[in-house]
Order: sequence, then C-alpha cells, then structure tokens
Amino acid sequence: MKIFWAFARQAFQFISAYRFNFFMEFILVLLRMYGIYWVWRVLYTQRPGAFGVDLDQMVTYGVMGMALELFIWSRPQWYMANQVKSGAIDTDLMKPMDFHLYMLARSVGEVLIGIAILALPALLVAYLFLDVQFPPDLWTGLMFAASLVLGFLLLFHLNFLLGSLSVVALDIRHISWAYFSMVRFLGGQIVPLWLFPSFLRALAEVLPVKGTYYIPISIYIGRLTGSEAIRAIEFQLVWLAALVLLSRMLWGWAYRRLVVQGG
Amino acid sequence: MQARLQYRADFLTGIVGVIVLNVVNLSLIGILVSRFRHLNGWTLWEMVFLYCLWILGHSLFSFFFWHIRTLEDFLVQGTFDQFLIRPASPFVLFLGHEVQYLGIADATFGISGLSLAYASLGLHWNGMQWLLFGAAILAGTLIETTLSLMIACLAFWTGRSRRAHSILMRINMMVQHYPVDMFGYVFRVIVTGLIPVAFMNYYPALILLGKLEPQSPWAWLGYMSPVVAAALVILSAIVWHVALQHYSSSGG
Repeated sequence: MKIFWAFARQAFQFISAYRFNFFMEFILVLLRMYGIYWVWRVLYTQRPGAFGVDLDQMVTYGVMGMALELFIWSRPQWYMANQVKSGAIDTDLMKPMDFHLYMLARSVGEVLIGIAILALPALLVAYLFLDVQFPPDLWTGLMFAASLVLGFLLLFHLNFLLGSLSVVALDIRHISWAYFSMVRFLGGQIVPLWLFPSFLRALAEVLPVKGTYYIPISIYIGRLTGSEAIRAIEFQLVWLAALVLLSRMLWGWAYRRLVVQGG
Repeated sequence: MQARLQYRADFLTGIVGVIVLNVVNLSLIGILVSRFRHLNGWTLWEMVFLYCLWILGHSLFSFFFWHIRTLEDFLVQGTFDQFLIRPASPFVLFLGHEVQYLGIADATFGISGLSLAYASLGLHWNGMQWLLFGAAILAGTLIETTLSLMIACLAFWTGRSRRAHSILMRINMMVQHYPVDMFGYVFRVIVTGLIPVAFMNYYPALILLGKLEPQSPWAWLGYMSPVVAAALVILSAIVWHVALQHYSSSGG
C-alpha cells in the first residue's frame, strides 16, 4: 500500500510540473461547461417536456459530464503501448510491484490531482454562476461518491484491457479515437441514455461504459433513486468484477508473450 | 514484408477510427435533433452540412499540416536544427517533411455528407455561392493551420505546446458539433474574435444555407472567412519569425 501511494505521488508531481497547461485546461473546462449550459437552455425553451427531467437537473448533468472529462485523461493504454514500443516496459516490469496495480496507482494519481485542482474549482465556479445543484440529500451524495469510484475503476479496466492488447497485437493509437468517442457516447457523458432512441438505448444499457458517466451523474441529479440506484451500483460492481478478472487473464497472457519475445 | 503489412493494418485502423469517430458524432447530433426536432432552428441536414463543411476544411489541414503539433518534439530533442542548416526555408522544410493520409478519410466523409445534405436540402447554388463554398473550405484549412502553427510556436518559449493544441481542438469540436448561435454570448465572442474558428463553418454556412438574408446587418460576416484567413496568415508569419529569432538550440 505504501508503494502504491509513492507511485500515485509520482504521477501527482509529474502533472503539477506543467502549471501553465493546467491553467489553460481550467479555462477550457469552464468554457465547455458554459457551452453545454447554453445548449440545454436553448433546447429546453424549444421543447420543455422533452428532457424527462427539469432544466436544473439537465444543466447539472451536462456540467458534471464536463467536469468528469478528466476521467478520460488518464490513458494507461497509451503509456503501455509506448513502453512496449520503446522497450522500456522491462523497467516497469522489474519494479517491486504488480504491473496491473502499478498502472492503477498511476491512474489514481492522475485522476485525484485532476479532481483536486481542476474539477472541484470548476464545479465551484459552475455552482456560483450556472445554477448547478447539490445532490438532494447526504445519502444520494454518498451513493454518488461510491458510484463515481466504481465508474473510474470500470473505465480504468477497459483502458487496461486495450493496453494489454497493444502488447500483442497492434498499434492502438487510431483505435483509441474510436474507443474514446464510443466511451463518451455510450457512456452518456454529454447526452444521457434516457434521451437515446430505443434500439441505441437497449445497446448502451447493457454495456459497462454506462457506469462511467451515466450512472454516477444520474444518481447525483436524482434521476436514479432508491432501489433503481442500488441496482445501478450493483450493475457497476458485477461488470467491475468481470473486467478485473478479464484484465488479469489478458495481461497474464500478454505478459508471457512479452517474456518470450525477450522484452 | 511484415513492415508493409503492419503499415496496412495501421492504415485500415486509422480509416476505421476516423469514420467511427464521425459517425458517433453525427449520431449524437441526430439524437438531439430527433428529440427536439431542430437545434435552435437548424434541421438535421443543415447540421450535417455544418459538420461536414468543417470536416472538409479540416481534412486538408490534417493531410498536409497535421504534424505541426509535433514541433515541440523537434525543439525538445534538439532535432529542429536540421531544418535550419539546409539551404531552404525552415518553414517549408518543417511543413513538407510529412503528410498524413488520414485526411483522405475526413475528405471522403465530408464530401459524402455534403452531397447528401445538398440533395436533401434541395439547394441550388449559383456560381457566386460555389465560389464562396470553395473559398470557405480553403479559408477553413488556413484558419486551422495558422492557429495550430501559432500555438505550436508557444513551444519556442515554454518548451511544451501539445496540451494547448488539444485545447484548441476541443474548442474547435464544439464549433463543429453545434451551431454557434446555440452558445452564450461569451462563447460566440471567443470563437468569432479571439479564436476565430466559427469562420471555418458557421458564418459561411449561414449564407450558403440561406439562413441569413443578404441584406441582414450581419450577413457580411459570412463573406469574411477569406479575410480572416488572410489576416491569420500574416499574423502567424510574424509569430513564426519572432519565434525563430528567439530560438536557441537545446544544445543537441
């Protein structure tokens, strides 16, 4: 556990070295929150009933989706692909830590710093100027927090699976574009799943990516409540267990291939 | 042989990646349009037109100038010197050292989308409008190229510029995905005056789709894309020269 935090701290320092970039990112997040705020407002005046929730909830959903953009920053699969390509992966494998946990520690570091210096300040500004709501009660807040952690872990494992594939097969750079656009789309980062036409919704409802954005944010705004929220969190847990298992298996297989090839 | 095969796989995944990306983006727009019937007065095919006009300008950029964002690598590693010691303009050498085939996928997608939109909207352009259309695409390419170049030049001072680049691209995406009139005043001012990416698609589209009467007080903005592009070319040339003056090799 101590080693875990040491690696997390390392990632923290790495990112905080580029302060100018973070300032720019901050401006951009605010701009995008402002953008989505207006999109939903304009659409709401067009057809007030079509959201299925009220305007404040919808705006909160959009703003949260923008704040959680930082989930997508952490890209262990790119790191893995680069390390494999340059051969530097052997130094990672020599570290006194399980590689899967090492990647997780890096991602946790990246996302924690993102939340602390980017998402929270931006949400504060949004709260002051864009009619963003707090969760209705403490219990909802707690469920949101749990669901958010699960959402992060789900996305991390999907990324890790893709990264493991890069060891054996292919250049994943281009696949990544398609992959991330799918995560954004089917995960409901901008447009929530309940606005999808039925066939797309049926597809998105069974895939694990909806646990990344749609479930945590829907709980936050009070669209998923009570037993529905519990079921959604169970959905996340089941998929997470499956993905952890799959990650261990795929990585184990890729790892053996690596050793055979001589690093 | 294996290397060739690997390149072909790379090519195919690249094309598939670009197409999936665009289909996903258009599906999102499609969902919103079907739910709300139009986006602030923009119907489905008008949105496709807006999106694809941007893509066409972007495709030329991504074919010829995509690697501008890699400038920082040359500066950090000290390999930029290779462009300075040859008997040609370092600008031409840097820009000419690579093309990116993925622009072809963008162009194909853009042309198909625009043709479908043109037919579905029942447009009949006269010569003047075709001219404006062509000018808008070229201006779009130049606008994206010059903005990209100026941001890359930041690296002469800060050493890093890629993140700033991705920020430009994401503002660009918002303009590509939604008509600018959907956003608030602040955003409109930014993408018109400060980072004028709205001239890549939005303002020309207003004229080309007949959404603005030629007599309207703002119609002139629709014809301004080439002017904006020209101004940016001059500005970025100045930035580039100042940056080169400032350049000192990283000691490689």
